[in-house]
Amino acid sequence: MDATITYETQQIWTSWFAVYLYLGGLGAATLTVTFLTDMYLRPYKELVLWGAFSGIVMLGAGSGLLFLHLLDHMAAIHVMNPLVLFEKPDAWIAWGTQFISWMMIWGFIYAFPYMVESDFLRGLPILGWVLGRPWVMFLAAHAGNHFRRTIGWLATINGIGVAVYTGLVLQSFPAVTLWHNPGVPLLFTASAFSTALAYLLLVLHLVMNREEDHPIRVIYERIDLILISTELVILFSFFTYLQSGSESGYRSAELLWGDLGWLIGFIGFGLLVPFFLQLKGVIWRWPSRYPIVASAVLVLCGGYLLRHYFMGAAVFAYPG
Amino acid sequence: MTRYVMVIDLNTCVGCNACMAACAIENQTPVWKSVWRTYVHDTEIGTGEDVHRRFFPSLCNHCANPPCMTVCPTGATYQREDGIVMVDDALCMGCQACALACPYRARYSATYEDIEIGRRFYGALMRDRPSVDKCNFCAHRVDAGQEPACVETCVGSARMFGDLDDPNDRISQLVKSGIARPLLPHLGTRPHVYYIDDLKRS
Repeated sequence: MDATITYETQQIWTSWFAVYLYLGGLGAATLTVTFLTDMYLRPYKELVLWGAFSGIVMLGAGSGLLFLHLLDHMAAIHVMNPLVLFEKPDAWIAWGTQFISWMMIWGFIYAFPYMVESDFLRGLPILGWVLGRPWVMFLAAHAGNHFRRTIGWLATINGIGVAVYTGLVLQSFPAVTLWHNPGVPLLFTASAFSTALAYLLLVLHLVMNREEDHPIRVIYERIDLILISTELVILFSFFTYLQSGSESGYRSAELLWGDLGWLIGFIGFGLLVPFFLQLKGVIWRWPSRYPIVASAVLVLCGGYLLRHYFMGAAVFAYPG
Repeated sequence: MTRYVMVIDLNTCVGCNACMAACAIENQTPVWKSVWRTYVHDTEIGTGEDVHRRFFPSLCNHCANPPCMTVCPTGATYQREDGIVMVDDALCMGCQACALACPYRARYSATYEDIEIGRRFYGALMRDRPSVDKCNFCAHRVDAGQEPACVETCVGSARMFGDLDDPNDRISQLVKSGIARPLLPHLGTRPHVYYIDDLKRS
């Protein structure tokens, strides 16, 4: 049927949803990277506490933002029930809600033994009293000694799930060419872990600032460099993919690559500048920590810009 | 098995909008914010004296593979055996994913504020919870053996409603003949609202 087509950008999930996707991916990947570091590089109490708490706060803030935008807040109870996955295994928001919820739970449990050991947390008024109870200390020691890796991997699986979900949720909308393709989950997963590494580099450089962390920082920088390169390759694929095939995609390409915020802000300062800063650091080393700090800040800003523009450049082709 | 479909003949739609009014009253849609379950688009096609005015009714296409149902995280959007795609207000949390998934712009939000306004506008209101609503082919009328309100009120008989699985039904014959065709079939949604083109008259 030949119908007149109207092309429109969507106005339903706007910047607030970009923040939700950003905080979800960043928070979950931060927890995952922190726990993998603690399990396989070296036990690192302070990093786990920083990663776990900031990750849980990010996931909570992002989920809170989505919750605030629901039309019926009470009905959200249906998607909080884990059994929803048996009733709606095809709905990515159901999976995402479960991944986020369990990520926060396992993240908290993983950090729990370190919380009991933390002088700062035990000095806090109410929390300190709770952490000092004998049965709490027994539980923490039991979890830390016997189930640390099991809990760590449960958190890791859920963390990867959240990062992938942030892309899959957009991929499930068939009317938008920019979203409905397998590149979106790959791009958003790479971006989530890249921003998480950038965030943890900031923590290591500005909060910890210890010489013995150098091997961890080098590994983070190298992995981040690979992830930024991956993002650039995926974005180039998107550029060529959107050039032909559908009018919706072509208009999305016009919106993205015709916008200086996307071109210079995201691709330029959010990817290329950090790429070269980190490449130089990996090959020749920087004499100061500040180029890597600057690179990490730019990666974090770029991560948000990616999602902001992806939400804004979604073009629907409505018949009518 | 019954499979309800609608066929819309664009050659006989006169753009009176009676279907919109009948639907709004029947289903108490929030018309105060210009939101309708069915909407008649009015477009001029052509240039100079060779202009054709097209009235194009749109509504939920009751897809056999509905993306709005797939993305719904609570199961609020579901499909009956007869193919009608329904919304359960009690389950809908209003994330609006269905509105983004629908390629036909058939979903709209009914908020708590709309419920308050609706009570004053319509008197008694059937709805007591917000949801992301849509056309349901007037399922309550269909179950009672009646046609959807928009079909019954159509003065040009442009809207026809019937059973695709009944070979004797004129609707199924129109669809099988290929004269009536769906919108955006390339998306794989398998829509069950079909249109007879008005621009191919000799």
